[in-house]
Amino acid sequence: MKIKKYLLTSGFALLFVPFALFGQGPLDPSLLLKPATDAWPTYHGDYSGRHYSPLKQINASNVKGLTLAWIYRANLSPTGAIIGGEGPESALAGGAGNEFGGPSIKAMPLMVNGVLYFAMPDHAYAVDARTGRQIWHYVWKTRGGIHIGNRGMGMYGNWLFFETPDNYVVSLDARTGKERWHKLIADVKQEYFSTPAPLVIRNHVIIGMGGDSLDVPGWLESRDPETGEIQWKWYTTPRKGEPGFETWPDEYSAAHGGGMPWQPPTYDPELNLLYVPTGNPNPVMAGQSRNGDNLWTASIVALNPDTGKMVWYFQCSPHDTHDWDATQVPVLFDGQVNGQPRKLLAQACRNGFFFVLDRTNGKNLLSRPFIESLNWHKGVDAKGQPIRDPEKDPQIAGVLVSPSSDGATNWPAPSFNPDTGLFYVGTSQSYAMFYLTDTDPHPQGYGAAERGVGGLGSYLRAIDYQTGKVVWKHSTLGGAQGLLSTAGGLLFGSDGAGNFVAYDPMSGKPLWHAGLTANPSNAPETYLLDGRQYVVVGAGDSLYAFVLQQ
Amino acid sequence: MKAIVIVTLFVGLAALGRAQQPPAGNPPRTQGGRGGGGFGFGGPQFDQAAVDRGQQIFVAQCGFCHGSNATGGQSGPDLIRSVMVMGDEGGQQLGEFLKVGRPDKGMPKFDLSQQQITDIATFLHQRIAAAANRGGYKILNILVGDAKAGEAFFNGAGKCNTCHSVTGDLKGIGAKYDPVTLQGRIVMPRGRGGFGPGRGRGMGEPQRSLPTVTVTLPSGESFSGVPVRITDFDVTLRDASGVLRSFTRDGDTPKVEVKDPLQAHVDMLAKWKDSDIHNLTAYLVTLK
Repeated sequence: MKIKKYLLTSGFALLFVPFALFGQGPLDPSLLLKPATDAWPTYHGDYSGRHYSPLKQINASNVKGLTLAWIYRANLSPTGAIIGGEGPESALAGGAGNEFGGPSIKAMPLMVNGVLYFAMPDHAYAVDARTGRQIWHYVWKTRGGIHIGNRGMGMYGNWLFFETPDNYVVSLDARTGKERWHKLIADVKQEYFSTPAPLVIRNHVIIGMGGDSLDVPGWLESRDPETGEIQWKWYTTPRKGEPGFETWPDEYSAAHGGGMPWQPPTYDPELNLLYVPTGNPNPVMAGQSRNGDNLWTASIVALNPDTGKMVWYFQCSPHDTHDWDATQVPVLFDGQVNGQPRKLLAQACRNGFFFVLDRTNGKNLLSRPFIESLNWHKGVDAKGQPIRDPEKDPQIAGVLVSPSSDGATNWPAPSFNPDTGLFYVGTSQSYAMFYLTDTDPHPQGYGAAERGVGGLGSYLRAIDYQTGKVVWKHSTLGGAQGLLSTAGGLLFGSDGAGNFVAYDPMSGKPLWHAGLTANPSNAPETYLLDGRQYVVVGAGDSLYAFVLQQ
Repeated sequence: MKAIVIVTLFVGLAALGRAQQPPAGNPPRTQGGRGGGGFGFGGPQFDQAAVDRGQQIFVAQCGFCHGSNATGGQSGPDLIRSVMVMGDEGGQQLGEFLKVGRPDKGMPKFDLSQQQITDIATFLHQRIAAAANRGGYKILNILVGDAKAGEAFFNGAGKCNTCHSVTGDLKGIGAKYDPVTLQGRIVMPRGRGGFGPGRGRGMGEPQRSLPTVTVTLPSGESFSGVPVRITDFDVTLRDASGVLRSFTRDGDTPKVEVKDPLQAHVDMLAKWKDSDIHNLTAYLVTLK
């Protein structure tokens, strides 16, 4: 891979004025209902969150011939961009996440009719999927907020939707990048910040937010794609009189209980159920003011997307005290359990447990740790929910806990491959000392401090969904990582050291790799365009596209 | 591949695949607008004199109902969580509110000067920012352990004395480090500081007790040094003379071996009882 040479070439190409919107057009909603082949129409590629592609033009026998097609380096300059936003002019000088080690593409770009659409904090782009040349660039003048990441866009016809660090949802016209409207979701002064990619289901734009520095409520909301008006809101903690309220001491603690849904949900069109993974409770690590399980924080919740009404829930971390949100991808697939065909939902949770649920009713079928170092639980209860060891709650003198708050895994998308029956996930066996710092009966914010003390290694793991057993593991330097498996017998991921890697999904053996300028920052995606299969991955401030040599 | 297992403990490339949080120790943000005080970034800066004045007025005038630290009291709500206070800009909204009060809920109006209102607002905003800034939380007194039990562990079950001596390498260790740093270093002397996963600040120490990697070529020629990077595809080390050497890898060729002088600490991670950690800390702090 002569990446440097290509970088130079792409630099020269920027001298040419981007033009020609050929091939652009609205999203056909039926694309959202099937595994993506000639499109990648939503964050996860399809509603299931499997990160599995039926494409096999690129496969284990020819992957050695995979080569660079183009690089698009994200343009951060407001010059020539379409400008929007409510913040001061001075905000335009800010970068997209400089305090987090520089701009990083954590989106999985949408690819619709030959155009890639993605966002970073305060920036949105359309890029020609054939050539990697920018079509338009939109810059948002921010009012502030945490610029840690943006997971991209949702699309409805010609309309695009993305969220901003200062908690607006912005709708753009995909053809021009011109803003249609923007709507305030939450108040940045309350430490909310918004990273999710909106999910479009029929005429619902599903939006979540993040922010757990202060003790504020979390919710998911649905908006009208034409007008941006709110259709429904679902709060992640119960109000008085609702079921689940008994898992909080009082109305006040529930209303300040956090549970931010900061990941895009997944969706089953047949059951018409939206699967929402929720965040950790607040105060985050000092649990003394919120005795109880603290529903529906750190849970997987099934909602009706038309009404926002809850149908069932499963709590991954009852009364979490380690910032282990359950916002990892709820992956939907059909499989066999004890010889019976079942509609399943599987999640490798930040707390280190692999869960398999019946996604029709939320009933737990399997709960099993997927890292060896886990030391905070005392088995699982009758509902399959882990029983936490209260001695591992943060203490004044410190307790040694694995995993650290970074988790056994995190938000980057895992992959389920129906050909192998294996669930692939990037994992870490970190340890940290947790110190309770706020002993007040009503602590604020995090209420505890954490000091990392090393770990027992990071691995890419393959889990048999029927048993929960780790079938193979391969050492990496990266912990959580975005993954994509394909019918071509390939598992695309990274090694945590800047290499984009194609692994053998049966063994974890690397089959191909390319050293990029940064480690891949979310899962790769793949699609067919003009009969050629592309594999695209974001790494740092650049998108890389690979094709087979012809 | 066994070598790589060990290497993951000390090569720190964690930032990208990691959690929704930043590395620690970054400078405060100066971006327009508000928010962003969380994530350990320090948030906005405050005029400490105004904070102090505001606190004084607050305790005298408001503390009876709202608690002297503003987190709520006998009859008044927690103002750190007040949406009105969080939304206030420099005392403007707060001032308007105080002129009227909330008589229906028993909150009287307050006749305060503009300066006093601004000072109270500064105090409250500082309190909110301090709650949000988890990087600034102070760890309390962690010395709860039994020094005698710690000494017994050191010389007995912990087998610490097989490598360490309280009159040798650990002489005066209790004076060298504060208890929190010392306790962290008991568990992992390298701390975090870019040595693998785990949120929170590392021990802030220079790199010591680093592993050694030895690369042996098929010819028999070998190179040793501190590992800089070990992946499936390449190995980079810095040798004793400071020269950086890199090698490409193809399966088991060349041979790559890693030795970690802190392997005993790594092996202990899964074995520690928290009480042993606390006792050992209590013992080692006595070594002044």
